[in-house]
Amino acid sequence: MSTIVFDKERVSELRKQKIQHPWRKRPRKFTFSVALAVLLPAAVAAGLLFGTDIPDPLVMILVYLPLQLVAAALAAIVSKGKHGIADSIIYVFAIGGSVFSLVILLSLIFTLFVNGLKAFSTQFLFQNNVYISPSTPLDYGGVGHAILGTLLIVGISMLVAIPIGVATAIYVTEVRGRAVPYVRFFVQAMSGVPSVVAGLFILTVLILTGALSTSALAGGLAYAILMLPTVARTAEEVLRLIPEDLRTGALALGSTRARTVMKVVLPAAKTGIVTAIVLGMARVIGETAPLLLVTGYSDSTVLNPVSSPISALPTYIFANVDQPYPNAVTRAWGAALVLIILVGILFVIARILGRGKVK
Amino acid sequence: MTVTDPVFRDLHSAATSHRGDRIFNRTVTALAFTALLVLAGISIFLGAQAVPVLAELGPSYLTTTAWDLTSTPPDVGIWGMLYGSVLLAVIGLLIAVPAGLLLAVFMVFMAPPKISKALTSLVDLMAAIPSVIIGLWAFYVLTGPAVEWQQLLNEYLGWIPIFQNTSGNFLGTPFIAGFVLAIMMIPIITSISREVLSHTPPELINASEALGCSLWTMLRYVALPYGRGGIVGGIMLGLGRALGETIAIFFVLKIVFEVNWYNIIESGGGSVASLIVSKFGEANAGFETQLLLAAGFFLFLLTLIVNVIANLIVSRTGRMQR
Amino acid sequence: MSTAEFDQSVETLEPSMSGRSPALPIQLTARDISVWFGKRKVLEGVNIDFPKNTVTALIGPSGCGKSTFIRTLNRLHELIPGAALAGEVLYEGKDIYSPDIDPTHIRLNIGMVFQKPNPFPSMSIRGNVLSGLKLSGMKRSNHDDIVEETLTAAGLWNEVKDRLGAHAGELSGGQAQRLVIARALAVQPHVLLMDEPCSALDPASTLKIEETIRELSKDITVIIVTHNMQQAVRVSDYTAFFLAAENEPGHVVEQGPTTDIFSNPRDQRTLDYVNGRFG
Repeated sequence: MSTIVFDKERVSELRKQKIQHPWRKRPRKFTFSVALAVLLPAAVAAGLLFGTDIPDPLVMILVYLPLQLVAAALAAIVSKGKHGIADSIIYVFAIGGSVFSLVILLSLIFTLFVNGLKAFSTQFLFQNNVYISPSTPLDYGGVGHAILGTLLIVGISMLVAIPIGVATAIYVTEVRGRAVPYVRFFVQAMSGVPSVVAGLFILTVLILTGALSTSALAGGLAYAILMLPTVARTAEEVLRLIPEDLRTGALALGSTRARTVMKVVLPAAKTGIVTAIVLGMARVIGETAPLLLVTGYSDSTVLNPVSSPISALPTYIFANVDQPYPNAVTRAWGAALVLIILVGILFVIARILGRGKVK
Repeated sequence: MTVTDPVFRDLHSAATSHRGDRIFNRTVTALAFTALLVLAGISIFLGAQAVPVLAELGPSYLTTTAWDLTSTPPDVGIWGMLYGSVLLAVIGLLIAVPAGLLLAVFMVFMAPPKISKALTSLVDLMAAIPSVIIGLWAFYVLTGPAVEWQQLLNEYLGWIPIFQNTSGNFLGTPFIAGFVLAIMMIPIITSISREVLSHTPPELINASEALGCSLWTMLRYVALPYGRGGIVGGIMLGLGRALGETIAIFFVLKIVFEVNWYNIIESGGGSVASLIVSKFGEANAGFETQLLLAAGFFLFLLTLIVNVIANLIVSRTGRMQR
Repeated sequence: MSTAEFDQSVETLEPSMSGRSPALPIQLTARDISVWFGKRKVLEGVNIDFPKNTVTALIGPSGCGKSTFIRTLNRLHELIPGAALAGEVLYEGKDIYSPDIDPTHIRLNIGMVFQKPNPFPSMSIRGNVLSGLKLSGMKRSNHDDIVEETLTAAGLWNEVKDRLGAHAGELSGGQAQRLVIARALAVQPHVLLMDEPCSALDPASTLKIEETIRELSKDITVIIVTHNMQQAVRVSDYTAFFLAAENEPGHVVEQGPTTDIFSNPRDQRTLDYVNGRFG
């Protein structure tokens, strides 16, 4: 072999080469066998599901699944040889597992909208439940009082949990005291406290001792226990992303540590902190168990946060679920739809803010 | 001129010697210990309620299964509930671990990036659905088909003890409750597994590709061993959530005061958390409330242990990976 | 003997034009290989023949597409999102990109060693050597022999023979890289691609790996990307010099026997590069 030098005259010819992805070309027998492996078991299963009386789950598990596995394995052997079998089987199971989860989620959301919308009307959103019995027609009454109650209770919990949660994050990322590992450990442990236990705690400390009656304040404090770890952990992650230069820069200008945190670090992390707060709200807004223990129940609109029982969306749903009256159940679905819409709004806000943070 | 000894200067305190800073530091530090305060508070206050219960009933509170306050001494205990909570969680895990793990594998190694992203959002959404709504759905939508599945299980696999059902009542079974728990655990297990698997170092994936791996062998020998710790931690976190779940279980499980050891499609089971909610409304202010608070204390201990272990596993693998 | 086969055997017998060595059978051929990432063309019209059981060095400054090129030779290139390719790679006369070829089969015949040593941290030394068999589902008997043979070939046997069960993470960078070479050899490839295998290593380890490469080329074809020109001179029989002008795709400026490229280059840019005037 001798030395070969690049032939410059070929450049114009090479420039005509088209972009190609040779690996995307599938041999026909591959496309054909995969199509067959997908369609055939599905067709057999559909035939049995609609054509016979064999119970659906039996068809799926005893006919469709084995047939699909065998078909996938055969397709793999045809196109890739024996070593493709394991892959084809894991594909079947992975897609099957994903479809299983998705079907549940879609069923949940679908039934929620179908049943919830039956209850929906302006008055459902703005009226309260006074003089409404479980059998009252859906033209009367609503969850206005429960929406207000939820907002009031979540608002109170925010007043408590946000300062403490953000302060915890500041301690971990800004003050960086000796106890950082312990503080993080406790916050993590706290995030695992079951909501019913948070309710029991407030119940024992404040209500059984007579310090407080069942009220929005008690509910807000129970929610705060659940909200605090979420706020603290998310805020900590956000503050970690603030570049160190910003802090040293401010300190070099003669700023005190406190002022650096308050005027430089926190404003820089503003959207992130708001995301943390929003996620904290989404975490607690549907919690039911603590409210059952500490807020009581009320059919009327309550604005007094300290001394009177109050309803929120979750407790309203809870009270209406197993009533033997269809209208009450429809009201529960309606309230559930309102609740999931509130959660959805919070998540969309968090997503939008999160996107801004990346830019 | 006097010569002074060199003085040890604490640079840290020097840096924060400004008065405003001292106040700021102390406030923040004090607030940071709220988490500890709450945990300690729960232990102390709920523990204090458990003391008279244990004094009155002794360890039998944890080992008997009954709720009869009329007899003297009261015949009361939460063993069936504790066992029930664990049984439900195990049923949930048996469904949620394969489903969640497979979903994560699909998202990381199989799905095109766009679908994977959409699925991530859906999983986040699933995690955010309040348990009261899942309970509502389970009560009105899931129980119908679930009863049919259980009847089939009983009909064809009834000779296996766990699928026995003598009462003919397929409502309020541990199976349904466990299935509901699985729905809540799937998003937790999926999102943590996805996170861990997507951090499999690209050079290891490269190496296995160059050695002619298939997807299955790459998962089996590279990705899953690498992510094992994180995945186990995620499963434990899901378990912690399952043990503490209250409302959804309350809707679908018939609480009975006998131990349902393994008849998972037989009506009736136990759950500490649901017991508290179901008995709370009718409880008298005295001893019965204390019984429920004591149950809450033991539930707290159980979930605390599970969560601490889970977090230790997750953070240790996190460190290993960095 | 058919005419085609006859022609081929005549071709292989014909002495090369330089007359220095008899022409060797060609094992791997790149024909008009051009590579894109997204819309950007990074490599253009690469034509190289890799004769059987020789060492070919690919040299050139950073960013001229050497590493990209080497990844097209065993179909690892296609795993990068946005990657595209034109041209053909012929392995023993067959296009490895033709649709009926299984990429796994290609990657087993054409092994690869990467820049950064990447042993599997969760496996033992022995497990790493045998990992290729597990991952590809290949069946070979007497694993102990394979472990000893390949570790010896990679020049690591004496250092690790007493601790084959130890975790691969305990090895030094140089040892890990030789372990990775042993791992690649255990599946018995016919070609070994090496992407700057010594760039992360100390001189002593580099020397060992160079010895290993020379040893290996008795049985297999080695293609090595290197930044180190002395290394190219020391280990390779043939050299191809890659270069990319600014905002232009890279191409092979000059290729041929290593001695010619370094002592008697025909292109001014090659001369400048091998004499260290740029790059």
